[in-house]
Amino acid sequence: MRVEFFLLIGALLFAIGCAGVLIRRNAIVILMCIELMLNAVNLTFVAFALENQSMTGHIFVFFVMTVAAAEAAIGLAIVIALFRRRRTTDVEDASLMRW
Amino acid sequence: MTIHLLLGLVLILFVFAAVRALAPSRTLLAGTVLGIGALALLAVNYQALLSPEFWAGLIGFVAILSALMVVIHPNPMVSILFLIVNLFCIALFYLILRAEFLAVLQIIIYAGAIMVLFVFVVMLLNLKAEEGLRLGGGPQRWGALLLAVVFVLLMFHALHDRSDQPYVEPGAFESGFGSARALGGLLFSRYLVAFEAASLLLIAGMVGAVVVAKRKVG
Repeated sequence: MRVEFFLLIGALLFAIGCAGVLIRRNAIVILMCIELMLNAVNLTFVAFALENQSMTGHIFVFFVMTVAAAEAAIGLAIVIALFRRRRTTDVEDASLMRW
Repeated sequence: MTIHLLLGLVLILFVFAAVRALAPSRTLLAGTVLGIGALALLAVNYQALLSPEFWAGLIGFVAILSALMVVIHPNPMVSILFLIVNLFCIALFYLILRAEFLAVLQIIIYAGAIMVLFVFVVMLLNLKAEEGLRLGGGPQRWGALLLAVVFVLLMFHALHDRSDQPYVEPGAFESGFGSARALGGLLFSRYLVAFEAASLLLIAGMVGAVVVAKRKVG
């Protein structure tokens, strides 16, 4: 089986996640699309690790999972704080700090 | 071969009539007919069931489809469920790519811990469905189209240039590649500092989440 197949799937998933971050309004769904992009990159790491016979790619995936867990916790805490103040999770309504 | 094809055709027609009589919904009808057709094709060409390429393609198809559903479905709860499907597909890819320990971690951490967090928050906030997507109009749209075309061309170029690379042979690796023992050995020798830094990151994230989300005291 060719490594290119997994690279292609990773690229498609990354593009879909990127489009989701750009076009969705709900902050929770935007966080989920970020998870999608992180997973696409992880898939590429694992594919290249197999091709190069090196486990360093697996180590990278491990740390990306750690960062994703911390990021999800902090992001969801911010969403809860935002909802408590504004009664919404729409990113269009949370534009206080935007230029 | 022709006998098989004819049998499949008769079967499809028969099931089509049965579903037509039973289910009035048009999408259900189309889905059932497509599924029966795919099953008939597989029954004719059952050798494909034995090839890893077929299963990898099927998993990739489900992964792409579920990712699209995450992006386009207006209800956040449904998006989360489709994201879990997508994460399971990627865990299966890890298994194909000889990363057994990472596949287990993917299911335990992502599908088990992070997604539960997402489900919990969506249930807690009791969100309604979104009104619409933020599709920009005017020149923004043409810029996006241009960037998409450039991206596709670049990806095609990058993947095409690699076409003289050898195939990956699933049996040709030393045993222990991707196992928990190998990963743990690396983590506790070469990447020990990064590993400890990750623990600091996690506790900072935990304390930060509590501080950000808690009510003001007093």
